[in-house]
Amino acid sequence: MKEKILVIEDDVQISNFIMYTLENEGFSVKGVTKGREGLRHIEKEDIDLVLLDLGLPDIDGMEVLREIRKEWEMPVIIVSARDQDKEKADALDEGADDYLTKPFSTTELMARIRVALRHYNRMRRQKEPEQEETTYVNGGLFLDTEKHMVLKNGEEIHLSPLEYNLLLLFMKNQGKALTYGYILKNVWGEGYGQDTQVLRTVMASTRRKIEDNPGKPKYILTEIGVGYRMKEQEIK
Amino acid sequence: MERFKGKNLLKTAGILAGATLVGTGFRELLFPETNNVVIYIFAVLLTARFTSGYLWGLISSIAAVLCYNYFFTAPYHTLAVNDPSYFVTFVIMVITAVMTSALTTKGKLLKEKAEENASVNRILYDLSSRLSDAADMENIMILASESVGALFQTEAGCICFTGETEPFSIWKCGDKIRKRKEENWEKIRQGFRNPEEECWKDKNAWYYAVRGHGRLLAVIELPADTEWHQIHKKEKLLFSVIENIALAMERIQIITERMRDREKMEQERYRANLLRSISHDIRTPLSGIMGTSEMLLSMTEETDRRYDMIQGIYHDADWLKELVENILSLTRLQDGKIHVNKEMEALEEVAACAVERIEKASPDREIQITLPEEFYLVPMDGKLIQQVITNLLTNAVKHTKKEEKIELLIGYENDRATVTVRDEGEGLADTDVPNVFQMFYTSKERAADVKRGIGLGLTICKTIVEAHGGGISGRNRTDRRGAEFTFWLPVGEENL
Repeated sequence: MKEKILVIEDDVQISNFIMYTLENEGFSVKGVTKGREGLRHIEKEDIDLVLLDLGLPDIDGMEVLREIRKEWEMPVIIVSARDQDKEKADALDEGADDYLTKPFSTTELMARIRVALRHYNRMRRQKEPEQEETTYVNGGLFLDTEKHMVLKNGEEIHLSPLEYNLLLLFMKNQGKALTYGYILKNVWGEGYGQDTQVLRTVMASTRRKIEDNPGKPKYILTEIGVGYRMKEQEIK
Repeated sequence: MERFKGKNLLKTAGILAGATLVGTGFRELLFPETNNVVIYIFAVLLTARFTSGYLWGLISSIAAVLCYNYFFTAPYHTLAVNDPSYFVTFVIMVITAVMTSALTTKGKLLKEKAEENASVNRILYDLSSRLSDAADMENIMILASESVGALFQTEAGCICFTGETEPFSIWKCGDKIRKRKEENWEKIRQGFRNPEEECWKDKNAWYYAVRGHGRLLAVIELPADTEWHQIHKKEKLLFSVIENIALAMERIQIITERMRDREKMEQERYRANLLRSISHDIRTPLSGIMGTSEMLLSMTEETDRRYDMIQGIYHDADWLKELVENILSLTRLQDGKIHVNKEMEALEEVAACAVERIEKASPDREIQITLPEEFYLVPMDGKLIQQVITNLLTNAVKHTKKEEKIELLIGYENDRATVTVRDEGEGLADTDVPNVFQMFYTSKERAADVKRGIGLGLTICKTIVEAHGGGISGRNRTDRRGAEFTFWLPVGEENL
């Protein structure tokens, strides 16, 4: 069955190009230019994923996002202009799954959509009381939660507890952009606030252990002003 | 001067002659001759009163005694005396006459001095009150030529050197104001090269400097035929007038400068706003162009002739986008207040993002990054610094061939974080080294096939880095061929 994607974007050029690409990739696509119109579609139809522009003519994109999250769990990917870092992070914290910065490439768009859909599907599957995964793999990285062990290219590397928890969080959320706030909450715990300095410092030391060249990380990438994203390595 | 001397001599002689005549009359009337002493002393007093200086009073005193001796003491018409007691009379007479003349002259001089001071004060007061009403340089120049002219009862001119146009002079004669081009102003100014020089003269005129804070503001001209002693007599007053004029000129200069600054700032802001809104509007359709062309690219075979054309569209759009980003950064920085939103950032993350962007735009290029073992957070506006690194890398890519290595090095030393971008390309031309950071500077040494630039990238780098309290420099590598750009930022939270 074709997955259905709703594109809420007021710029006709960009909307056309997105829709054309998605149709080419075999999705069923619906495009609207206004926020309310989009919400109506979500109510009526069974939408699998929403592409949402933050700057809409009728209501604020953030408002649309909040409305969606009140009732639905389908992935929402934000499409935003470059100088809206703050809003991007806010949108992610409000429940958006990912974001794309204009101008973006088709490959980028497709990669983000696939990751979001896969996560969504996995999450739906896990709804059934199944056992949580205990091992995670990404490229040369292997993490075993039962043995509390991390391997890099088959060799064990030693991480501090914070570094381990940080890496675990990313291994669980491969391909997703995680905001500073989200990471701090999940690794350091609630109430740690927005002190990103300690997070960056631990990230620097973690990278020096897991990356071949920490100057050019291939596993955990920086999303400036937003947070980090673990990139899924291509399987050879 | 000769005329003066003659007049004084005439006066002295006349008064003495008169006194002698009156004395002779008295003698005929058989008045006691002692009356003549009083008459001569009176004559000396009159002489002192009506001649200038002490000299004529003194001469008159002596002459009066001699006359008295000659005409009124026996034997008459000789300078000999029969009665030695007359010597006492002569001595007392000389003393009295000299003292009388001295006192009279002194009183007269004091009075003259007081009058002169009063008139000086009046002139200066007049001048300064009129100067403070003056609204522009030309007004002040007119007042200057007018007051200096009045001071010496002659024509006087004023040349002003503060304007942007070629200096001209203003002469005021009577009610007419003559404005004329000063041909040899350069020479006149040269004459005042030495800051101690107050006055000099050539065949055309006397020149007096009007200076403010050591700078030559204007020059006062007096006709060359003006007598030196006449000028010298009133030089003090002239200097006071000049002082007043200098103050007024400085005031006008400050006002005009301030107005010009404000105007410039307004214009700057207006221009920045315009640029910003245009850039914003350009960005949106560019996204469309880039997206669509990329999509077309993915639908076209690489062997298809259209593939290159579409790629051309994509690259040009990408170039335009880069330009727009740079303009946006620049307008944000030059918006009067430099708005740098500093936060503690990981320099290596920012650098990695820049490298990622460049490698995405030029997929055939690889940039090597070298990180130190230590790690510090550096206060910065992450996006702006990313722009700096991106610009440096873009330049490096532009000026190297595919096989020539580009490196990015990060280091920490002495409270500074340094980033170096170096390549193995053609390097900088010697003539370019001092200019590369100038706005809109593009090298003239480059071959025509090098991708176009508009000379904004490095200017932006410099502006951004300096707004962070850091520094940037560019040079050729010494170890091998290639260019090397380094910038540093202060480390430590106190720099937030």
